[in-house]
Amino acid sequence: MSNELENIPIRQELEVLQSGQKRTNPLANVFDGLVKFCRSRSMFMLHYCTGCGAIELPPAMTSRFDMERLGIQPMVTPRQADILLITGYVSIKTLKRIILTYEQMGSPKYVIGICSCTVNGGMYWQSYATAKVLRDYLPVDVYIAGCMPRPEAVISGLRELMEDISSGRAESWKKYYQHYDYYLGNQQKLFGEDWQTPTDIIAEARHYDLMTEHTLGEHTALLEKHQKPLEALEMRLSVKDKQKV
Amino acid sequence: MSPGELIIELFLMPLVAFVVGLGMVLMYRRIGARIQRRVGPPFFQPIYDIIKLYGKHTQISHGLIHEIGIIMAVGGYVAAETLLPVPGMSGLADKGGVVTLAYVMMIPSLGLALGVGQCANPNGSIGISRALTAMLAYDIPFILVIFGAAYVYGTTNLADIIAIQQQQGPGGWGIVQMPLLALAALLSLQGIMGKQPFEIYIAPAEIATGPMVEMSGKFMGGLFVMQCFQLYTVGVLYTTLFLGGGEYWLTFLPKIFSVVAIPMMIAFVFPRYRTEDVIRLLWKWPVLIALTGLAVVLR
Ligand code: SF4
Repeated sequence: MSNELENIPIRQELEVLQSGQKRTNPLANVFDGLVKFCRSRSMFMLHYCTGCGAIELPPAMTSRFDMERLGIQPMVTPRQADILLITGYVSIKTLKRIILTYEQMGSPKYVIGICSCTVNGGMYWQSYATAKVLRDYLPVDVYIAGCMPRPEAVISGLRELMEDISSGRAESWKKYYQHYDYYLGNQQKLFGEDWQTPTDIIAEARHYDLMTEHTLGEHTALLEKHQKPLEALEMRLSVKDKQKV
Repeated sequence: MSPGELIIELFLMPLVAFVVGLGMVLMYRRIGARIQRRVGPPFFQPIYDIIKLYGKHTQISHGLIHEIGIIMAVGGYVAAETLLPVPGMSGLADKGGVVTLAYVMMIPSLGLALGVGQCANPNGSIGISRALTAMLAYDIPFILVIFGAAYVYGTTNLADIIAIQQQQGPGGWGIVQMPLLALAALLSLQGIMGKQPFEIYIAPAEIATGPMVEMSGKFMGGLFVMQCFQLYTVGVLYTTLFLGGGEYWLTFLPKIFSVVAIPMMIAFVFPRYRTEDVIRLLWKWPVLIALTGLAVVLR
């Protein structure tokens, strides 16, 4: 790791910064309430399972506990999904994929950390290859601790998220835009200073009007310095043995 | 019919179709749940899903054609609803007829193909090429069935077809007059609705839901709406051709729901066939049955 990266201090406390404007039209508030309620009753979760905790999801989804009762169903692409379940220890290689996936999901999006390993590293605390505290890299809405938590615990965690969504408390997806410098800093510490993703988070923060003084910082400056423009992959078919074709 | 009435009907028919379609989606998911010994989603789940999808903050559009594609997909079915007579409303059914309807029902797939093409996701392209191939497979028995039915009733006008059947009572229903064609139609319905065993073009685990792979937010919501219309259209068309249409909503609704329920029950106990097997199967059995049925009615 270069000295440049090590010298940048990292801030600690993170909160959702409210913009403070409330809609004045009572009808608009009713409408917002309806949308929030529907959001909480219809959650599509992404089929992306890391670590061993994933094994508790099939019983939670199928006939024994049946998550569809609560309107939760699996979806297969990040574009369609609302919640990202991180079900266990996250190796550094996996974390890159998780961040890529998370950034492609449409907001509002929610992250649930299942298993002790996502809380503090769990029994992989001493491992050189796992990322310990998931909250440092992504904003997490709900943690479900346990090694591994039973389906009852998973479902009660999901119900908690439902309540948070319908009461408007589950807004941590905004944190990723508002404190992007912090999250990017932690990611850079792990992946090196030339880490970049195809999604332009800063532009999105501008689009959603979520720019704060913490969005940009020394880490995003470092990102800009190393950023390479995205290029489409070259498509080429090579026919090796022309005789056979 | 006065122009005012016509406009009201053109507005009401898709609306009724959407509401009934929501009920069908609920039924579809409940049937699946019961077969898997689950409880299933709550009563308003389909509408929660649609509102949620339209209420997402992020709406990722891949360009104009992507948006037009979704509009074509929903619009094709909305147009189809106005051609389908239901109790008390006949809309444009007099001027359309079953041949126009068969054409209009192809528009959604083509619209989807356009939209997915612009997303430039390889999974989507694979999915849509499979979907269009499947369309080729199920449309042949479907067209044979339509030809046979039109021959038996002596007209392609859906309103007349219903009137003929209702004059003769249940003995004159298409399903009694031409049982083989009715069976072939039921088999091709499975393909039209894109349910297992013919859902290789969606295949969530292999190609990540194919055409839907890049759809998010309102685009996905549009497809959910399209699914409501699709189930409704299929149910009403089959009821009109073979089950005597409907005089009253009270008798009409059970008919269309049970028509849609049959393929769904089959769907949840089947895995899926490969594309070439889909074609082979649909070009063999339903086509054979339909041709035999044609021979019987043409004799
Ligand atoms: S908490 Fe236990 S069960 Fe969960 S990922 Fe860690 S080691 Fe596996």
